[in-house]
Amino acid sequence: MNQKLPPKLLLRFFKWFCHRDLHAYVEGDLLELYQEKLLNSSRRTADFKIAIDILLLFRPSIIRPFEGFKNSNNNAMLKNYFKTSMRSMMRSPLSSFINIFGLSVAIGICLIVYAFIDQDISIDQFHQNRHEVFLTTAHSYQDGELVQYGQTPTPLAQMLKGDFPQITEICRVEDVNVVLKHGDKVFHERVRFADPSFLDMLTFPMQWGTSGTLNDPNSIILTDEMSVKYFGDLNPVGEDLLMKFEDESVKTFTVTGVIEPFPKAHAIHFDYLVNFENIRKSDQAYDLADWTRSLNATLIRVNVPANIEAVERGMNKYKKLQNDANPERPIESFSFVSIADLHEASNDIRNGISYGTRKEGWVILSIMALFILTLACFNYINIAIVSASKRLKEIGVRKVIGANRGLVIFQFLAENILVMSFALLFGLFLGYSTFIPWFNGLFGRGLELVLLDLNLWIFLLSMLLLTGLASGIYPAFYISKFQVIGIFRGSVQLGKKNPLTKIFLTLQLALAFIAISGGVWMTQNKDYQINRSWGYQPNEVLYTDVPDQSAFDQLYAVMSQNPNVLSISGSSQHLGHGLRDVVVDTPERQYEVGQFAVGANYFETMGLQILEGRAFQPNFESDNRSLVVNEQFVHNLSLQNPLAEIVKIDSARYEIIGVVKDFHNWDFDYKIEPTIFKVAGTQDFRYLSMKVRTGKQSEVYQALREQWISHFPNTPFQGGYQEGVFSGYFDYMDSAAEFMRALAFVCILLASLGLYGLITLNISGRVREFSIRKVLGASLKNVAMIITKQYVLLFVLSTLLGAPAGYVLMETLFDTVFTYHMPMNYSGLVISVILLVGVLLVTIYTQVRKLAKANPVDGLKVE
Amino acid sequence: MKKFQLGEFEEIVMLTVGVLYKEAYGVSIKKEIETRLSRKVSVGALQSALKRLEQKGYLKSAPGDTSQERAGRPKLYFEITAEGKNALEYTRSTRNELWNSIPGLALDVKFALSV
Repeated sequence: MNQKLPPKLLLRFFKWFCHRDLHAYVEGDLLELYQEKLLNSSRRTADFKIAIDILLLFRPSIIRPFEGFKNSNNNAMLKNYFKTSMRSMMRSPLSSFINIFGLSVAIGICLIVYAFIDQDISIDQFHQNRHEVFLTTAHSYQDGELVQYGQTPTPLAQMLKGDFPQITEICRVEDVNVVLKHGDKVFHERVRFADPSFLDMLTFPMQWGTSGTLNDPNSIILTDEMSVKYFGDLNPVGEDLLMKFEDESVKTFTVTGVIEPFPKAHAIHFDYLVNFENIRKSDQAYDLADWTRSLNATLIRVNVPANIEAVERGMNKYKKLQNDANPERPIESFSFVSIADLHEASNDIRNGISYGTRKEGWVILSIMALFILTLACFNYINIAIVSASKRLKEIGVRKVIGANRGLVIFQFLAENILVMSFALLFGLFLGYSTFIPWFNGLFGRGLELVLLDLNLWIFLLSMLLLTGLASGIYPAFYISKFQVIGIFRGSVQLGKKNPLTKIFLTLQLALAFIAISGGVWMTQNKDYQINRSWGYQPNEVLYTDVPDQSAFDQLYAVMSQNPNVLSISGSSQHLGHGLRDVVVDTPERQYEVGQFAVGANYFETMGLQILEGRAFQPNFESDNRSLVVNEQFVHNLSLQNPLAEIVKIDSARYEIIGVVKDFHNWDFDYKIEPTIFKVAGTQDFRYLSMKVRTGKQSEVYQALREQWISHFPNTPFQGGYQEGVFSGYFDYMDSAAEFMRALAFVCILLASLGLYGLITLNISGRVREFSIRKVLGASLKNVAMIITKQYVLLFVLSTLLGAPAGYVLMETLFDTVFTYHMPMNYSGLVISVILLVGVLLVTIYTQVRKLAKANPVDGLKVE
Repeated sequence: MKKFQLGEFEEIVMLTVGVLYKEAYGVSIKKEIETRLSRKVSVGALQSALKRLEQKGYLKSAPGDTSQERAGRPKLYFEITAEGKNALEYTRSTRNELWNSIPGLALDVKFALSV
């Protein structure tokens, strides 16, 4: 009886291609020959022989004709699938709602990510010559780290043009702060000085006037925004603008063009353009051949993009020229970044003319979207498996009628795709009408979904297939597996024996766990960042720019009379308003540090805390050679005893007399850098800062402003609240916090809903069992215990899995994304445990109540 | 006459079916040809010939019994139809006619050469 048969695969292959009428007989022949062969040769030879025979049978007269679907009524089948799908969705509206709602929220959030990334990769891609135009960048070491700078030595541009035939055009770009005046409108502005080739290399269409007018050193080109600022909606071509440079010299420019509003997806931005020749006007001493000076940007254009490599190879000689002239800051190498790649690369380029995208946005957004999508998919998988118990009979009937397993799988996948398409449409609606406008309102990103964009539909379709298959494939395979006999006998027990189902459930719970604690931590971290200490007291400080010493003296004289002013001081640089980079020499090495030159009571005014030593003393001549440093400086130089330590700046010796507590000069995205303070002479004061009585800030601000206007009517007032210096950053933080709260809410909602749906289904599947228990005298407490017991182990397991995973995940995320984040705590974990247990208990409670009210007879009648 | 067209292999298959009479099915036909004519016959070639002949109406088939060594698969037995018999006879007579028409001289020469 124990017969040896040839490999199954061969026979299946034969069955697949053989004509149906012939198959049984020919297979019989083949098997007969096989058995015969086995009698006098090895099994392998026999296998080989039958394989050859089967291959030789693969000929037109044996192969079955292609029937296509001519014999099946597919439309009717699909119609039936559709109808049963709709009915089963209608039958359990709660789980359908949970599925569709969860998935559509997830898809809506994915659409934000799509729109975000879509916009981000399209940034600056509107420049027609983006592949031929390159920004020159220089690499040099700073504190042992190789840094890429967007600024390059001034003479480089001219030399490049002469030395390389591949370079067709160059453009020097410099940005200068000036005061612009038209009629009674006077503002501080930043004007871009650029060679006329600027408008050839980059694509900025003109609204009025012509771009060629940049050749004329007396003309100025405005952006649309600035044109509106000075001239309203009128065409300003031909109007005059008065430009006042830093050295008080003045030049009149004629408006010759207005640039169309920038596309939303742009990173290279400017307000005004004038011919580069004016650089001499702004600074008499400007030496174009000076290698120690650098330009804000040097753009080059090559004839063929590939030629840039040849140019890059030839850059070494400039390195030598530069390093001979400026041995203080040697350059390691030069490289070029095309305009097409500039936005992508800008995160790594310091002082470039473009900007990159906040890492935080990219990473968190994508991770959150992916996470929510996974959570929604797991909800779907688990609910699908449990609700399949209600559809076992349907599957049995289908199989009896003649559906094979493949068809049942197909049915369930098709149904899944149907659910997905509902979710997709609803998600698209949510994303389009709610999520993206909300996101734009928060961050002002100007994201948009173009509904006619082909890429969007490709994205949606791939989302549909991907999530549809990912969430549907396991339920489909699982459900279709059952034997018909088992189904009708009622011996099939869903999910009882299958470890995979339990794994899925545990995973869902663990994901929910991570989602909730992640949401809590994100929200907490934003609060932490908003309330983070600056390291000084900005809230009672007012400040203003002053043009020169006499202005400072006049303001000082009047403001010190004000009874609400507690302390008043001057400085060359001011916290939050930029500082000077200087190089500090110690016997071991050189350090680049930030430097503030301040008046003696600056520390007191700003609330900077002296930790060791002392601050500068007024009229103390010897303090001119003294330094106060911050903690970071002490740390970086690893000074054991910083006081009385001697360092050199520009070969002058300075003594450290005090250490000030670390403070944030920029917003919290920036690391605290080593910083030094030295004494500034009154003639160098450019800022006046005042500490005022609490609650009197606005009063003093008004007084300061009035004094300014009466003393300097021709110079715009540039003062403000120290607190308001980074208000833009805080607006962003508030928005981010709101966004995080919303995402956390979505995570919690989805996780809870999924759990609720799952338990409800599970209990309703066991109504008969509970009814019998009730009839036999089980108390409600007993029933509740039985249900709870089922989940306790899973809960413990998923907590053990989710807690460390979530902790590590979020810590890594925080470390990579934020410069300063809150210390990790356990509150996120505790809150998620409480929340999940709460959901579990509430669900069980409501279901048990339902059981209590129900008549057990009805429960027993349930089919 | 195009009416009766039989290839060389087809003719052999038909004759073998005749030889085996009631016992002609795939494996037996194959073996019979292989022993009598000492030539290899693949299942594929045989089956496609049989199918072709059935389509032409020269053979008819009927499913038969199953057996253990065939793993329960039935045999398909072949029988020559009246049309098939006509075809065989036609082929035979045309051959004979041709044989008879060969002048004795031509064959003699051949014999002479081969001897």
